[in-house]
Amino acid sequence: MPPLQLLPAFSKPLTPPSALLQWNRKPQLSGPTPRVAVITSGKGGVGKTTTTANIGLSLARLGFSVVAIDADVGLRNLDLLLGLENRVNYTALEVLNGDCRLDQALVRDKRWSHFELLCISKPRSKLPLGFGSKALTWLVDALKTRTSSPPPEFILIDCPAGIDAGFITAIAPANEALLITTPDITSLRDADRVTGLLECDGIRDIKMIVNRVRTDMIKGEDMMSVLDVQEMLGLPLLGVIPEDTEVIRSTNRGYPLVLNKPPTLAGLAFEQAAWRLVEQDTMQAVVVEEQPKRGFFSFFGG
Amino acid sequence: MASVWTLHFRSLPLRIDSNIHDSSFDKMQPCPITSTNRIAIRNGISNLRSQLKHHSFNSIAKFHHRLVTSISMPPFLLNRNGGSNFPIWVCVAVVVLIAAVRVVSRKKERPGSVADLVRRGQLRSDRRGISRPLKYEDPFNNPFVKVGKSDSTVEMCGKVYRLAPVTLTQEQQATHQRRRSRAYQWKRPTVFLKEGDEVPPDVDPDTVRWIPANHPFATTATDLDEELAQNNVYQKHGVPFRIQAEHEALQRKLEALQNGEKLNKLVIDPSNAKEFERPFNSHARLNDQAEVNNQEQKPTKLVTDSMNAKDFERPFNSHASLNDQAEKSSVNNQATDFDSPKIDCGPNHVENASSEDPTL
Repeated sequence: MPPLQLLPAFSKPLTPPSALLQWNRKPQLSGPTPRVAVITSGKGGVGKTTTTANIGLSLARLGFSVVAIDADVGLRNLDLLLGLENRVNYTALEVLNGDCRLDQALVRDKRWSHFELLCISKPRSKLPLGFGSKALTWLVDALKTRTSSPPPEFILIDCPAGIDAGFITAIAPANEALLITTPDITSLRDADRVTGLLECDGIRDIKMIVNRVRTDMIKGEDMMSVLDVQEMLGLPLLGVIPEDTEVIRSTNRGYPLVLNKPPTLAGLAFEQAAWRLVEQDTMQAVVVEEQPKRGFFSFFGG
Repeated sequence: MASVWTLHFRSLPLRIDSNIHDSSFDKMQPCPITSTNRIAIRNGISNLRSQLKHHSFNSIAKFHHRLVTSISMPPFLLNRNGGSNFPIWVCVAVVVLIAAVRVVSRKKERPGSVADLVRRGQLRSDRRGISRPLKYEDPFNNPFVKVGKSDSTVEMCGKVYRLAPVTLTQEQQATHQRRRSRAYQWKRPTVFLKEGDEVPPDVDPDTVRWIPANHPFATTATDLDEELAQNNVYQKHGVPFRIQAEHEALQRKLEALQNGEKLNKLVIDPSNAKEFERPFNSHARLNDQAEVNNQEQKPTKLVTDSMNAKDFERPFNSHASLNDQAEKSSVNNQATDFDSPKIDCGPNHVENASSEDPTL
């Protein structure tokens, strides 16, 4: 086991820590491209696929070319969230079999042409035993060196839940990881274990996104605060996503949250997380609670 | 209103008669019935009937008068003869027109569509662009997020949230990393073996992932040829491997068939040979087919089976279409494949071509 080193993002901060949010300019891409990030959690249902779709499209909106790989082989859903399910004709399995080329298996989003989707297999197809870490690494390498169009700046891999073969396959080509967790103890235990496995595999750049945060429950001490979660896991924060009913609506419509008009709280939070991902930045301050409104009636307790 | 009045008048006499009968019989009950006064009773009944009849007519007339006086008629109905019923007909026509338009518009909306869901109130139309794609404001200048001057608050979507600084230090991170490295000792598996397989000599046993016998991987899957799969993944131009292989196999089959026919000293129809060589020329093919039909009458010549001919047409089509696709390097993704389904318009589309061609 090699000696552990500090995270590169912390050893060399690229943005001044005083800036909480930096709009009014294009984010500055940092780190060698293409950046290959796996989005994982361990526990299911915490929002890995939602995060992949929204951060991927946010990056595309910011002008970066993105390829999202749905590595959840058995239960793929990323195409549904993106509304691209009717356009998946070829998958990575057809590429491996020689039925099509890799560029033919990429589904380009018509809304944001910088964004492309690659599915591993069709829902009912039988995946060969040989498909594993090697095959996904070949695919990522081929994307890095493609000539038909410029190589992507970001490759996001949507990891399946659990730490089984799908997880092993998904993390193999990744250089950095986004750990999605919710502020509950079951998710935190799984997240801690997954973080340990990622660190054992040599992925040092791990950032955390705390999803489904409810400030009203935090205020009532019914939910752990984001700072509590960070204290338990000891990971830098990439984003805090508030609970939002619009997530379900956007999922059912196949229209990612960040494309909402007017934007929602969760969509804005995803956008900020994407901003920080580009700049390899981390959160310097977190939202604690909604500030009570001060007015004439507040004097009377209103 | 007229129909309501008639209903009242039909039901009215019966009700009045029954009441009157009851009251009359109540009055008659104390009278003793004897044989001497039967005639008197008969006369009395006839008188009573005539009285009742008169009484009922009076009551109906009173009721009618009361009804007419109680209901105040609208002025436009009272002035019907004045020729002012034009607004009524206009209102009726507008109502009918609106109803017809609504029926037609509902028929146009398919049940279950997003528009239909919006109409039924299950989805909101103002939240997402159902018909219009998002062109929301400049992502680099988001007016919905404003950080307070003291960096202690942030305003998002009109709500002000209090911020707390992150307190995680590098020492705390290093402590957590050390804790995890002690707790989780793990090597990523690099070799997947089915239960019962032998571990290769150069493989670390800790990196072997054993697949149970009842696992879907073990029961349904076949192994990949790694070298071939890698070549397929890295292929950037040209026809994919399997399509190429299928095409070559069919071409070999065709050559073998042609050689076999030569060996049997059978004459191949030149029109069929043309068919193999020029599959895209639909006009020539149709003309040639017409010639073939004429030549079928001659018993000395052997005509290749039409089923076999169709079998051989497909690989040429697929090969040509794949070459076309390979040439379009800028539009090589699935979106363009999906949008242009008519790339493969070879002999499989002869009927369409002939129907579209006005000369045929």
